[in-house]
Amino acid sequence: MLAYIVRRIIATIPVMGVVAFFVFSLLYIAPGDPAAVIAGEQASPADVERIRQNLGLDHPFMVRFGEWVWQILHGDLGTSIFTNLPVTTMIRQRFEPTLSLMAITLCFTIVVAIPMGVLAAWKVGTWIDRLIMAFAVFGFSVPVFVIGYLLGYIFALELEWLPVQGYTPLSQGLAPWFANLILPAIALSCVYIALIARTTRAAMLEVLQQDYIRTARAKGIGQRSILFVHALKNASVPIVTVIGIGIALLIGGAVVTESVFAIPGLGRLTVDAILRRDYPLIQGLVLLFSFVYVLVNLAIDVLYTLLDPRIRY
Amino acid sequence: MSAPKLIVPPHIAVAHAMPDLLPAGKPRRGMIGFLRRHPTVAVGSALLILMLLMAVFAPYLATIDPTALALARRARAPSRDFWFGTDMLGRDIYSRVIYGARVSLTVGFSVATLASVVGLAIGLVSGFVRAADAVLQRVMDGLMSIPPILLAVALMALTRGSVGSVIVAITIPEIPRVSRLVRSVVLSLREQPYVDAAVVAGTRTRAIIQRHILPNTLAPMTVQATYICASAMIVEAILSFIGAGTPPTIPSWGNIMAEGRALWQVKPFIVFFPAAFLSVTVLAVNLLGDGLRDALDPRLAKGL
Repeated sequence: MLAYIVRRIIATIPVMGVVAFFVFSLLYIAPGDPAAVIAGEQASPADVERIRQNLGLDHPFMVRFGEWVWQILHGDLGTSIFTNLPVTTMIRQRFEPTLSLMAITLCFTIVVAIPMGVLAAWKVGTWIDRLIMAFAVFGFSVPVFVIGYLLGYIFALELEWLPVQGYTPLSQGLAPWFANLILPAIALSCVYIALIARTTRAAMLEVLQQDYIRTARAKGIGQRSILFVHALKNASVPIVTVIGIGIALLIGGAVVTESVFAIPGLGRLTVDAILRRDYPLIQGLVLLFSFVYVLVNLAIDVLYTLLDPRIRY
Repeated sequence: MSAPKLIVPPHIAVAHAMPDLLPAGKPRRGMIGFLRRHPTVAVGSALLILMLLMAVFAPYLATIDPTALALARRARAPSRDFWFGTDMLGRDIYSRVIYGARVSLTVGFSVATLASVVGLAIGLVSGFVRAADAVLQRVMDGLMSIPPILLAVALMALTRGSVGSVIVAITIPEIPRVSRLVRSVVLSLREQPYVDAAVVAGTRTRAIIQRHILPNTLAPMTVQATYICASAMIVEAILSFIGAGTPPTIPSWGNIMAEGRALWQVKPFIVFFPAAFLSVTVLAVNLLGDGLRDALDPRLAKGL
């Protein structure tokens, strides 16, 4: 088991290496000369050249890549062109809203999507199943910001139940924090719910056809227990896999949702970085999000062995 | 004395009648029969054709020039002259929405085609050339580890912003998914006895690809391409919405919504109309994809 975990962790190193390479290439081929930007407009060509040499910008591509990776491994993601603050500081300042949004979305999604999928599989072919599957198609088709605006219009503008936009830090109380995040979390979870409900239904249908389920029925075990204990446990591997893959949707969606609801998180920071062409910040954010994504999926791979003892590596 | 009554507990399933194994009557053949058996394909393609017609005939359907500015009639509510109202710069939203279909459909179809072609090529190389496979798979793993929208957004930061660069930026994150699919088909087919036989008989790789591999990848790739098309249209709207997509001079659904963003609390209709058109179009493509999946691959039909 431990050997497996170590092996899996080692296996992610080349993947992160490839990601780092992509992200570095982004900055390398980005238009504009960082040395000229730092030197300012009045600098002479000689000044620019000196800055370039000081920063090591005249080194060959692979050498610079190596230096950059070395910096990152020491926790230095560079300095933002726009604010002159370290990228790590900027990310730390914006971390809480995004983490809160994603945590609430994830909880909400799991609580809603899995029972939906189980119900659809149980009532397969009936109108309940069709309704849930129709919802899933809609969830895939309506973009997250459209759902965001719709919810905002109904629950914040018309009914005035919830704040329209903004974010209150958790330190200022649980209730205002939560109230600000309900609508964005629901908007963000729609695609995710659609994805997981569909996967749950498919996995459950597969499992419900198996002999041991018939045995359980023959033994007189109740329907609820068969569905949620016997079947769901065995259907859990594909479901958990998709929850992990879906984190990518969540990250992409957060970029948009935070813009709609004016949440000062990492997604909003990403949009600002793109609009200002703040390349070091873009690099840092893409790298961070990818790292989180890879890490979550690594954790899920390890989780398999706990969920399904038959899986041995 | 009557026969003892069989008591069946409610949670035990009992077959009350033999299921009809054979369908009653002969299924209709041809296009109409196909569409009848797969209503989602019928509905999806009908809606999509409607949108296509709208995009093609945009100059005839639009009431006025979608880029015509008129500051005197800024942000008007929908009326008889301006069916969907006007935006902050006084442009007619109805005409802009009609023209916006062009961008969405162009991006959707181009991304689907481009990602399929490139993904097919990479998948074939990876499936047939062992030496290249290891490297290509690592590159694809890396690409897949970057959340797609984030990658597209980062790529857009490198370019000046044009419909072409939007297409490329959305295509790159989609390529690994196609190449994985093609590679898996190739690898499983290579184990098939008839492909082995073809190899033993000295068939060239090119002929094996044409005769055995391509026909088997066609069905899953068509389905995949439909889903890519749907997601590309959403990503285009997202990119334009956050200001990193189609240039603001071109009316696209994402751009119209981006312009309506500042005013949405007072003038929600600016965001509403493009949002509705975008959602319906994506829904049409998704329905088409679901229907095609059921129709083309009966093994998958019961599941997802």
